[in-house]
Amino acid sequence: MKHPLLKLEPLIWLLFGLGIMVGTMLLTAWLAVVCLGAPLGLVPADALAFERAHALGATWIGRLVLVGVVALPLWKGAHHTRHVFIDAGGADRDAVVAPILYAIAAAGSLLAIVAAGRI
Amino acid sequence: MARAAHPDAMKPRGPQRTRTAPPTAPAEFPFAGRYRTYTLFDWTGIVYLLAGLVALRVVWALGSGESAWSTLQQQLANPLYLAFHALSLVAVIFVGVRFFRLFPKAQPARIGPVKPPPQPVLHAMLYAAWVVVSGGLALVLAGGIF
Amino acid sequence: MAEKKTFEITRFDPDRDEAPRTETYEIPVEPDWKVLDALNFIKDEIDSSLSHRWSCRMAVCGSCGMMVDGKPTLTCKKPLSEYGNRVSVAPLSNFPIVRDLVTELDGFMDKFQKVKPWIVRAKERAVEEGTHRQSPAELEEFKQFSMCINCMLCYAACPVVTNEPDFLGPAAIALGHRYNMDSRDQGSHERNEIFRGEGTVFSCSYANECSEVCPKHVDPAAAVNQAKLNAVIDWATSFVVSREKE
Repeated sequence: MKHPLLKLEPLIWLLFGLGIMVGTMLLTAWLAVVCLGAPLGLVPADALAFERAHALGATWIGRLVLVGVVALPLWKGAHHTRHVFIDAGGADRDAVVAPILYAIAAAGSLLAIVAAGRI
Repeated sequence: MARAAHPDAMKPRGPQRTRTAPPTAPAEFPFAGRYRTYTLFDWTGIVYLLAGLVALRVVWALGSGESAWSTLQQQLANPLYLAFHALSLVAVIFVGVRFFRLFPKAQPARIGPVKPPPQPVLHAMLYAAWVVVSGGLALVLAGGIF
Repeated sequence: MAEKKTFEITRFDPDRDEAPRTETYEIPVEPDWKVLDALNFIKDEIDSSLSHRWSCRMAVCGSCGMMVDGKPTLTCKKPLSEYGNRVSVAPLSNFPIVRDLVTELDGFMDKFQKVKPWIVRAKERAVEEGTHRQSPAELEEFKQFSMCINCMLCYAACPVVTNEPDFLGPAAIALGHRYNMDSRDQGSHERNEIFRGEGTVFSCSYANECSEVCPKHVDPAAAVNQAKLNAVIDWATSFVVSREKE
C-alpha cells in the first residue's frame, strides 16, 4: 500500500523482531517476579526493596535491561496492535493508525532511556 | 455466511471482462479454526503495549525515590494490576511458544556464506536462551544472586 | 444402495443474479471419489450450467482450488470420504467471483509478474561459456519453493490478502524468494526492492495459514518470512554498498 512508513518498514520489523524475541524473554521474568511474585509475597520482601532495586537498576546492565523491558514489548505491541486494526477491516485507515502506534512505541522507548537514566 | 473481504482484494489492475461478485473472507476468519490462535496472537500486541507502558511507570518510579517506589509497589498489589499481569504472563508464554515454533523455518538456507543450524537445533537454542535469560533475570530480581 | 451426500454449492450468474446464492444437490457417491468427481457428476447428470475449473485430476495443474466446508481445498486431491453427509462447496475466498465456482485470476497474475519470476543476470552468459553450473546443495536451497502449482489456496487462506489489496501474497513472494535463493540469479537486489515496495512482504503477519493449506508442501510462510530477513539485510547493506546497475 502507498504508505508514509513504507521506507521505515525494515527498521520497524527489526525492532518488532527484537521485541518478540528478547522482549518475551525479559518480560517473562519481569512479570513473574516484579509484577506478580513481589506483590503476592512469593518473593523475599527485601529482594525488591528500594535500596537493592535502585542499586541493581543503576548498573549499566541494569539500565539496559530496564530499557529493554519497556521498549522491546512496545515495538512488538505496536506492530501487532496495528495488525489487529487491519484484520478488523481497517487497512484503509492504516496510514493514520500505524504512525500513531509506532509513535507511541518510539516515545515510550525514548522515555524508557530517560527513566533508566534517572535511576 | 462469511464476511466480506476488502472490496479490492485480488482485484485485477485492468478492466474486468464481466461483472464479478465481490470477494469474501475465509469463513473461519477471524475466530474459528486455526484463525482463532492467530487472532489471539495478534491481540497479545495490545497486552504487550500495555505491559510495556506499565513497565515504564515502574522504571520511572525507581528513579523517583523511595517513596514513589513504595507507592508503586503497593499499586502493583491491586487486584486489577495482578489480574492484568497474570493475563500478560499467559500471553507472553503463548507468544514465546508460538513464535519459537515458527522462527526456525523463517531463517533462509544461507545468508551470504553463513548457514543457520538445523531447524530442531535452532528451536532448542531458542528455548535454552529463554530459560537462561528469563531464569537468570528472575534469579537476580528475586534476590537469588547479586 | 450407493451412499448419498448433499452438496450445497455456491451459484452465481452475473447476467441473472444480483449476488451469489446456494443450490443444493443430493447425489449418490462412490467410496473412492474425490470432491471433484462429485462436482463433475452434478454437472454431467443434473445441472450442466454448473461452472467450475479443473484439468489434470492429479494435483499438479492447480486449477481446481475451491472452499470445501469452508477450507481452501484442491478438489481433485481431497477424498469425499473425509466429509460428512452435507458438504459445502464455494469459490476460493478473497477472489472476485466470475461465475459459480470460478474466480477472477488476473489479480494474481498481476502480482505474480511484479516479482520478476525469472533468472535475472547482470550480464547474460555467452553461449560459448556453456551452461550454468549448480550443485545439488545449491539446488536444495530453493527447490522446495519451486514446487508451487499456482493453485492459489494460499491466497484464499491468507488474512492479509483478505484485508490488504496491495499485498503481493504468499505464492508470488515465495516465487520471488525462490529466484533470490537460486545461485544462477543476480536479481535479488531488484526483487528485494520490490519486496519492500507497495506490496511489501512486511505486511505478512505470519498467520501460517498459507503453509497449512498448501497441497504441495511449498511452505510459502517460510519463504515470505525468509524474504523479510533478506529484504532487511539488503536494505541495511544498501547504506554501505552501492549497487550500480551494469
